[in-house]
Amino acid sequence: MKERAIELTVNGIALNITVPVHQTLLDTLREQLGFTDTKYGCGTGECGACSVIIDDHESLCSCMALASTLNGRSITTAAGLASNGLNAVQQAFIDQTAVQCGYCTPGMVVKSTSLLRKNPNPSEEEIRKELEGNICRCTGYDSIVKAVQQAAQSFPESDTQWDNAVELKAGANS
Amino acid sequence: MSSRILPNFDLLVPNSTSEAVNLLAHYQERAAILAGGTDLIVAMKMNYESEILISVSELDGLDYIDFDPSSGLHIGAKATVSQILDNAEVKQYYPALWQAANVFATPQIRTAATLAGNVLRGSPAGDCSCALLALGARIVLQSTEGKREVAIEDFWTGYNQNARQSNELAIEIIVDAPQSATGSAFHRMTRVNEDLAKLNGSVRLDMDGKICKSARIAMGCVGPTTLRLPKTEKLLQNEEITPELLAHVTDMVPTEISPIDDKRSTAEYRLMVSGVVIKRLIEQAATAAN
Amino acid sequence: MSQFSVIGKSVPKVDAYEKVTGQPIYAADLKMQGMLYGKIVRCMEFAHAKVIKLDFSEALKIPGVVKVLGPEDVTQTTYNTGACDEMVSDKVGHLLGDLKDQTIFTDHVRHQGDAICGVIAISEEIAERAAAKVIVEYEPLQVFMTPSEAEKPGTHQLHPDKANNMAFQLPEAMFPGNSYGWGDADEAMKEADIIVEDDFYVNKQKQCQMEPHAYIAQVDGRGRLNCWSSGQMPKITHQKIARLFDMPMSMVKIHSTTIGGGFGARLGIIAEPETCALAMAVPGRPVKVQTLREEDWIISESRHAGDYWMRLGFKKDGTPVACQARFKANTGAYFTHASGVPFTTGAWLSGMYKFGALGYQGESYFSNQAPAGAYRGYGNPQTNFVLEQLIDRALTQLDIDPVQWRLDWHKGVGDDGWCFGVKYPSCQLSECLKQGAEAIEWNKKLAEFKTQTGTKRRGVGVSVMNHTSGAMPMLLEHTVTTVMMNEDGSAVVATACSDLGQGSHTVLHQIAAEALGLDMNEVTLKTGDSDANGFDIGSHASRTTYVGGNSILEACDDIKKQLLERASKHLDTAVENLEFGGKTIFAKHNPENSITTAEICRLGVYNYMDPETGEPEGAPGQIFGFSSHFAKHNSPPFGACFVELEIDTETGEIELLELVHTHDIGRTLHPAMAEGQMVGGAQQGIGMALTEEIYYDEQGRAVNSSFTDYKMYGSSDMPKMKVILVEDPDPHGPYGAKSVGEAGLTSPVGAIANAVYNALGIQFKEAPITPEKVLKAIKENGLNFA
Repeated sequence: MKERAIELTVNGIALNITVPVHQTLLDTLREQLGFTDTKYGCGTGECGACSVIIDDHESLCSCMALASTLNGRSITTAAGLASNGLNAVQQAFIDQTAVQCGYCTPGMVVKSTSLLRKNPNPSEEEIRKELEGNICRCTGYDSIVKAVQQAAQSFPESDTQWDNAVELKAGANS
Repeated sequence: MSSRILPNFDLLVPNSTSEAVNLLAHYQERAAILAGGTDLIVAMKMNYESEILISVSELDGLDYIDFDPSSGLHIGAKATVSQILDNAEVKQYYPALWQAANVFATPQIRTAATLAGNVLRGSPAGDCSCALLALGARIVLQSTEGKREVAIEDFWTGYNQNARQSNELAIEIIVDAPQSATGSAFHRMTRVNEDLAKLNGSVRLDMDGKICKSARIAMGCVGPTTLRLPKTEKLLQNEEITPELLAHVTDMVPTEISPIDDKRSTAEYRLMVSGVVIKRLIEQAATAAN
Repeated sequence: MSQFSVIGKSVPKVDAYEKVTGQPIYAADLKMQGMLYGKIVRCMEFAHAKVIKLDFSEALKIPGVVKVLGPEDVTQTTYNTGACDEMVSDKVGHLLGDLKDQTIFTDHVRHQGDAICGVIAISEEIAERAAAKVIVEYEPLQVFMTPSEAEKPGTHQLHPDKANNMAFQLPEAMFPGNSYGWGDADEAMKEADIIVEDDFYVNKQKQCQMEPHAYIAQVDGRGRLNCWSSGQMPKITHQKIARLFDMPMSMVKIHSTTIGGGFGARLGIIAEPETCALAMAVPGRPVKVQTLREEDWIISESRHAGDYWMRLGFKKDGTPVACQARFKANTGAYFTHASGVPFTTGAWLSGMYKFGALGYQGESYFSNQAPAGAYRGYGNPQTNFVLEQLIDRALTQLDIDPVQWRLDWHKGVGDDGWCFGVKYPSCQLSECLKQGAEAIEWNKKLAEFKTQTGTKRRGVGVSVMNHTSGAMPMLLEHTVTTVMMNEDGSAVVATACSDLGQGSHTVLHQIAAEALGLDMNEVTLKTGDSDANGFDIGSHASRTTYVGGNSILEACDDIKKQLLERASKHLDTAVENLEFGGKTIFAKHNPENSITTAEICRLGVYNYMDPETGEPEGAPGQIFGFSSHFAKHNSPPFGACFVELEIDTETGEIELLELVHTHDIGRTLHPAMAEGQMVGGAQQGIGMALTEEIYYDEQGRAVNSSFTDYKMYGSSDMPKMKVILVEDPDPHGPYGAKSVGEAGLTSPVGAIANAVYNALGIQFKEAPITPEKVLKAIKENGLNFA
C-alpha cells in the first residue's frame, strides 16, 4: 500500500487519518496535522528536537518513525503535556531560565516529562544521561538540569492529561 | 533521499509471523524488514532504497524477554533495547549486554530500536552485537520452510552481510545460559558519550575460583565485522589471571585485529588502545564472576 | 535591598512561554495561503568545478513543479553574505580590499554546496524529487584546501583581484608594515632572556545552532518583496536584499522570525537571496525554502581555521618584552569576513598583556572549503589557544605561577584596549583571577599534581581573555530606538535589535521598564519589523545589550524629559524641583503636588477643550521618544577561566572535571541569562578545544556533515561548572553593564589546553586535542606514567 488509514491519538484527541506510508510521524504532525510544536532538527534521530512521548511514558524521535506503522498508538507533544497551561516541567524551564533560542525546548520538555514519568526522583547523573538524546547548543545544559530537578520536586505521580482526554474524545465524536 | 524526505516504497503490515514469512517467501530481496526503523529509516534518508517494506509493528508476541537459568535468555525479535535495559535479570546475569544497552545510542532510539535489529544490521560498531558475541548467542530465523538457529559467530559473513536468507525473518535471539561463576563486561570508546563507538570490546569469563576456565572475547570497530579474538582467548584458558598474563594479553590483542582509519578514529590509535581495553574488561569480568 | 526594580533580577524571559509550549514562531513553522516550496540545488559532488551542462527538462516533467531557475534567470548582481561590508565606509572597504563576490546561482562551483539553481514546486517532496532530476554536468577543477596550497604558484586563482589567493592582508595604508601593534617587536625581542615560539593550527568549528536555516519570501499584492528571515541583522538584510534586487528599501520588508540560535551563523545573509529570487519568479505566491541539517556544515559560514604562528619574549623575572604573531586564516571560497577575523584575532591579542612591543600580521586565503565567517568569539578563541599556551610554556621555563604572572601583566584601566586609543574604562580581571583560583583551589591542586603518580593524571589550567561590547570605533555602532507612550502611560519601545536566544529582548525590555519606572508588562518591545524599526546593526560583537541598551536609555531619557516638562507646567513647579518616580511625577518639597505619567499621556492624546475655560486640559501631543545612538565606547569585559581535568594516559582520553568561569561583567542585568551565556559558551569552547572540527576528504568534500560525526559535548559530558560574575559598574555601559555573549566560549579553549599541559607536560599545537593526538604524543615523547 502507498497510503494507510490509521487511528492516532495526539494530545488526547483520537484522529482517523490517512497517511502516505513513507511519511514520518514528524511530517504527519507538522505538515498534515499542522502541529508545529515538534521540530525538525536533524532528521536522523541525533538531536531530539523531534521528540514526542509515545503511549504515555516513552520518548521517541518522530523523525525516525513512520506514522503508517503507529496505528492505535498515542502521541504527546509539547503543546499537549498539560491539558491546561503548563506542566511542572514547562514551568520549571521558565523559572530556571532553561530556555534560550527555544528550538530544542519542545523536545527537551517532552523528554524531561517522559524521564520524570518513568523515574520521578532522578539523580543529576540520571537526568544528564536521559537527556543525551537531546542536543542544546545554547545553555550548556546546567539550567536544563536544574529545571528537571525543580520539576521533580513538584511532579505529581500521575501527571497525565488523560482524564481530560476522555472529555475531549467525547467532544470530538459527538 | 534527504533527512527530510524518504524515498517511495510499498508498505506491507502483516498481522502474524506466518503471514510475514509468506510475504518474505514471495518478495525475497525486494523487501526489507522494518522493526524499530532506527537504522533502516536513517539509511533510507541517505541512499538506501527498497521497493517494499514489511513492518513488524502489528506482529504480536515477539516483544518478550524471558530468562531461564538452564536455557538462557530468550529475546523476542521485537524486544527493544529499552526493554533490555529495564530488565533486572539481564542486568544481573548478562552485565555485558546490559552495559552495552546502557550506552547504546540515545533514550529515544532505545525506545524504538530492537536488539534483533542491531544484530541483523551487523555493523562492526554495534554495541549490543559486541556484547552478544562475547556472551554467546544464537539467532533464530523462521521461514515458510521452518525454523533454524545460527550461532552468532557464524552469523556475520562480511561487512554489512549476514547469514539470513531473503525469505527469512529473525524471530528470536537466544543468549547462552551463564555458568555458576560467569562474569561479563562491556566497554566502548567514543568521542563524546552520545556517539557510535570508535572501539568496543566485551569479555565473558567462566571462572573456577581464581582460574579462568574459558574466555570469550569480542571487539568491534577493528574489522569488517565484530571479531572474536581466539588467540587471546586461548591465552586465558585454564590460567590464573595475573598481571603477567594480562601483559601478554595486552600484546596479543592488537595482533588479532585489523582496524582502519575512519571518521571516528585511526588504525594507529585503535591498535594502541585495544590491548588496554581488553585487559581492563578481563579485570572487570573476573570481578563480576565473584 | 536593590536600588533597581527589574535590573539585576532573573525575570522570566519574555519569550519563554511561547517556547516551552512550542508555538509556531520559527520560519519553518509558518504556513501561508498558496504557499509553494523551493529547493536550492547545490553541487555536492565537487568542491571546485565548472558547470558545463544544466538541463531542467526532466525536472520540469514532474507534476507539481512550477518553475526551475538557473543563473541566467536571476540577477547577476554580486553581494557579500557577511555584514562587515555594511559596517565600514566604502573608502575603508576599498582599503581593506573587501569584495562582493557571491551570486545567487553560479556556474563556477567554488566549494561543495555552492548553489546551482532552484526548483519551485507545490510541495517540499516534489521540489526535492525534482531537484534530484535536474541534470548537471561538471568539469572538475583543481581543489586546494589550505592557505599553503592556496598561495602556491600555479594554483587556480579564485578571484582576479587576489593574487596567490590571498583574500586579505592588513593593509599598509591603515597598518604600516601590514602589522598591528606597538613598538618595534623585532628589536624588543632581542632584549628577551627567553623566547618561546611555535606554529599552531586552529580548527574549523561550526556553530551548529539547533534551528536549520529556513526562509519564506513573497512578492505581495502591492509588489513589495517580503522576506521572513531569522537573520541576526534584519536591517542589514533589509538593505542588502533591496540593493541586490535593485528596489527601494520601502518596497522590501523583512519579517524577523524567531531565531533558533545564531552564534554568528546567521550574521548576515545565508539563503535569503535565493529564496527571494524564487519568490520573484512567482509573484503573489509565498515560497518556503527549508534547508537540511546535512547542508548546514556546507552552506553557512564557520569559524576561521588556519595557521597561527607566535613568538613571545620574556625577561627572567617574567617581564613580557615582545610578542610577534601571524595568523594565516582559511577564509574558504568567498570573501565574507576575510578582512574581519584576521584583524580581530590580532586585536584581542593586543588587548591582553603589557608587552613591551607587539607586532601582529593577519591574512586570509581563499580555498575550496565552505566559507568561513562569523562565529562567536570572532578570532578570540583562536588567539586564546595560542597565546595562553605559549605563555604557560615560558612560565614553566621561568618557574613562575601562571595565575600570578597574569595578575602582574594583564592590561587594565587606562591601558589601550583592542583598538588603540580606546582605553579600558574598567577592569576586574585581577579579582576574577583571584576568585577563580580560589574556587578551583588552584594552589592546592598545583602542589598536589606535582607529586601525583599512576596512569591517571590530573592537571589544572588557567586562561584569560578580553573581548568587547560592540565594535566601535572599527565598525559602525548605531542603534535607533523609538519609544511611544500609549495614552494610558504604558510604552512601546521599537528597535531592530535581534534576539538569538541569548535573551536580548528580555534584557532590553528590563532596561526600558527600569528607565521608565514601569512594570515589565507595561512595556512592549516591538522588534523584527523592518517597517517599524529604525536602524540597528544587529547582533554581533556582543553589542546588543550595551549599544541597544544605551540607545533605549537615551530614548527613555527623551521621554522623561518631555514628561517632566509637561509635569512642570501642570504642577507649576520648575523641572529641577520635580522627582521622576516612574508612574508618578511629584514636587520634591511637596510630594502631594503630583501627577501620574498616565494622566500626562492621556491628556496629550485626548487633548479635550475644557468648555468652561476654553483651554485644553493639558499639554497636547502624544509623547514619542527617539534615539539615534552611536556608541561612545566599547567597554571591553575581561574574564578568566580555570579548568581541572584528568587524563587516562593509557588511552589518551581526557575527562573534564571542573570548569570555573569568572567574568568582569560590569553589572549583571539578568543573573540567570548571564550565567546561561557563560555555561553555553563554555560548551562551545570545550568543543573547539577537544572534539569539534569539520573534516574534508581529498576532493574537498566535508566528511562529517552530520551530528553522527560532528561531535559536541552533550548533557552527560559537561563538567561541573561554576560561574562567578564580578561586578564593578562600567562608566559607559547601560546601568554599568558590559557584554557577556562571547566571553564564555573564548577562555575555556586556552584553559583546557593549559590544563592538559599541566597534566602531561606536553603542549598540543593543533586543536582539537583528541585522545588520538594525546596518546600518540605520550608514546612519541616516551612518557611513562605508571
